[in-house]
This record gives sequence, structure tokens and C-alpha cells, in this order.
Amino acid sequence: MEQTVHNAADTASAYNFAYLDEQTKRMIRRALLKAVAIPGYQVPFAGREMPMPYGWGTGGVQVTAAVIGPKDTLKVIDQGADDTTNAVSIRQFFAKTANVATTEKTAEASIIQTRHRIPEKELREDQVLVYQVPIPEPLRFLEPRETETRKMHALEEYGLMHVKLYEDIARHGHIATTYAYPVMVDDRYVMDPSPTPKFDNPKMDNMAALQLFGAGREKRIYALPPYTKVKSLDFEDHPFEVQSWDDECGMCGSHDSYLDEVILDDKGNRMFVCSDTDYCSERQDAGHRGPQHHDQPLGGPKSNPSSEKAAE
Amino acid sequence: MTLQSQTSNLLSGFDHAAFDSNAVFRVLLDAMSRPGRIYNLPINITAPDGLNTSSTAALLAMADMDTTVWLSPACATNAATTHLKFHCGSPITTDASQADFAVAQSDEDLSFIAQLPVGTAEYPDQSATLILMVDDITDNREMHLRGPGIKDTHSLDIKGLPAAFHAWRAENHHLFPCGVDVIFASDTKIAALSRTTRIEVK
Repeated sequence: MEQTVHNAADTASAYNFAYLDEQTKRMIRRALLKAVAIPGYQVPFAGREMPMPYGWGTGGVQVTAAVIGPKDTLKVIDQGADDTTNAVSIRQFFAKTANVATTEKTAEASIIQTRHRIPEKELREDQVLVYQVPIPEPLRFLEPRETETRKMHALEEYGLMHVKLYEDIARHGHIATTYAYPVMVDDRYVMDPSPTPKFDNPKMDNMAALQLFGAGREKRIYALPPYTKVKSLDFEDHPFEVQSWDDECGMCGSHDSYLDEVILDDKGNRMFVCSDTDYCSERQDAGHRGPQHHDQPLGGPKSNPSSEKAAE
Repeated sequence: MTLQSQTSNLLSGFDHAAFDSNAVFRVLLDAMSRPGRIYNLPINITAPDGLNTSSTAALLAMADMDTTVWLSPACATNAATTHLKFHCGSPITTDASQADFAVAQSDEDLSFIAQLPVGTAEYPDQSATLILMVDDITDNREMHLRGPGIKDTHSLDIKGLPAAFHAWRAENHHLFPCGVDVIFASDTKIAALSRTTRIEVK
């Protein structure tokens, strides 16, 4: 069968389109169709070895390779950033093996592969979000045997997960799980949303875009169809809530995005900055300014007292 | 010479294996994740006697030597089985309980659907997908669909869908997470019903 890509000059032509062979893609595609039909259920698939180590997104890359077509535009983020090693290398991988357009703009992408964040900008119906997942089984740290966790999912036996959250409350006074916070999908399956901060959990609920999850080492695929009910597990007297910050983004001044803390020196100075780089730069382009932006005067009204002290 | 005489009747498959199968898969993925929404078949392909274009495209994109295909009496023509064996390499079975993909026409005897594998409680993914060939798919308000993938409701009308199908489908929905997913294939259009979809028939 004809397997050459349309523009061999620009592409790694010794490989099939998007690296994987057609039979492997069909196998992954069949798993994806089952995954969207059973939201939150982990479909086993015959994960292949990819030219990158486990933990670098081999599951997400295989899902993207099965989904991506020549007309797609790919964005890859790692902890929200487009410019980290993992994101850059995966973007280059598909630019090379599939000759697709890539972008850093959330709005321009048709497929967004992500490691541990959901973009701040609301996703649309014509976009697909592909998650890289290290441990797909939310019950794995409570019950190491796959045979048992399968049974627990089959019987909808999720008491153990609630005990774990309760023990958090007993020990810390609140639910101390801050990332990979378990969710209930369409009132049936408990699902691991991958190690995204719990800040992102509400975005998964009723999202307009299709969400696909790939775990390469564990060889599991699962999915959330658009407009699916996703509820973070909690208790009536300890309702689910997301993180909030007293600080704002030092670059764009955002108060409602997920912030990374950056240590500036060994004198205790630090700043907060948006984890979503595209969101932050879009806000800066629109004229929003945070206290540490280079446009801002030094020692402006917003600069923190410790940095003034250090300057003296 | 013998070889030539056997292959001369064969119809061609996808023009471009990678791109065409991807385009068909994307439509199936969209259709399955948005049950009841109607999509156009994105490519041109010749269908063998017994199958229509959309069902042929779906099988060529999704079936291979790892998937067993069951064809209904009306679909199981010589041309169709030869076509699938050549292009997909799929084993063809006469036992519906072995099927990964089952293909039938909507005006046929649908009693076989009760035998299709629905998966197990621990592995609900080990179930069949039914590809049902239909005359036309429209969004008339014959069926109201709700469930994952559907914002409020989707309207769907499948021309000539027998009452027996709805009775089976209601039972199938109660088996969740087990169950059979359905792909409706008219000559040019595709829509799907995931096992999660709740249907209200007018």
C-alpha cells in the first residue's frame, strides 16, 4: 500500500505518516472509540515503544499520532508552558513525522497535547485535548493489584477512595490532595485526571472539547466526551474547592490563572507568574501589566517590601 | 494468470491509506463522542455489492486482522467478503457472538443483535460495534438523545428504523458499562449512538 507522505522533502519520509504504522494506529483508534463510549473507563491497548523514554509522554504521543491528520495544527504544553524541553521536542517530533503545522496559541490549535495542565482559555468544540498520563488507575496507591482494581471499578466500589480523602481530613483538617484529584465521571467511573492541579478539575466538567488520555507505560487509554459530567469527589461538610493566591501574576497581573512560584534569589525574594505561557503573553499583548513586568517602574506601588529592602 | 483473473474483479480501497483512514476515523471519533450528530463521509470510495460507501469506509478504516467481522445475510455477498478479506485481512464469521464489527441493513431481521458480545463488567470494552446501513439520516425530531457528548439534546431520525431496534437499544442502555455501540451509515452520512446515550422516541 502507498504509505509515503505528501511532502517528502519536508518530512522524515522513511517513517509512515505520524511515525506509527497504520495497523498500530487502527488498534489505538479502536481503543479510542471504546474509550469515548465508556467515559472514564480505562481501555487497555497494545502500547508501542516510542523514541522517547516512559514518563516523557509516550501515551499522549501515541494518542496524538493516531488522531492527527495533515490539516491539524498541534500545540504541546508542559505544565502550561510551550517552551519547555518536553513540549518543544514533541512539537518537533510531529512537525517532522507528520509535517503538520504547530502553534503556541491555544485558540489556533486543533489538537493540544498537554502534560499536567489544562489551558486557561476555554476550549472549543473543534479542539481535542490529549493528556499525558503517568498512572491512569486512581485506586492504584490504595490497591496495587490490577485484578482487584478492575473488580472495584466493575462493582462501583469506591469506598476506599472516600476513606483516603477522609483520612486527609482527619490528619490535616482538610482534603490535602492538590493534584491528580480523583473525579467521578457521569456518575459511574472514578477517574484519575492525570497530575493536573485540582485547580483545573472544574474545567473538565462539561468541557466543549473532546478529552483523550494516554498512559504509555501502563498501556491504558481513557476519554471524556464533550459535555460530560465530571465531579471532583468530596464530602458535604468538606466541599471541593480549588487553590487561590493572594498574589497576582508578576508579568500580566492576572488574579485568576494558575500561578507558579519563582524563587528570585537567596534572600527570600520570589515572584508569581502564570503557568499558562500563552495566556500570560496574550494578556501582556493586550496591555495588562503585573508589578514585575519590565515596563513597570522599579519600586512601583505593587513591588513587595522585601525586594525594596534588598535594594537598599 | 490465475492470480490475475482473481484480482481483476477487486475494487480499490483508500486512495491514500494514512490520510483517508485518518479522515474516516476522525469522523467516527467525532460521531461517537457526540452521539446523534450527523457527519458527512469525508472521502470517496467504491463500495462492493452488499455494502454502502460509509460502511465500507468505516470497515477499511477500523477493521484489520485483529478484528472479526460478521456480515448479515444481505451484506455477506461474495464481493463484500472478498473486498474485506483483501483490504482489511479480517476474519469473517457467521457467528454473531464472535463479532468485533457486525454489519447489517436496517430493513433486515435484526434478531442477531441480541447475540452480539457486550463485554464483561471488568472489560466492557470487549464488545461489538454494530454498523447499521440505513437509507437516510436526518435531524428530524424522531428521537431525542441525551447523555455524555450531548450539550442539551440532539435530534436524530433514521429512516426505516424498526421498533425492534428501539426495544433492543433500551435494554442495551441498561447494561452499561457493557453494551454495543452503533454506527449508522447511509451512503454519504454517518451518525453514532454510544451505549451511554439515552433515547426518547417520539
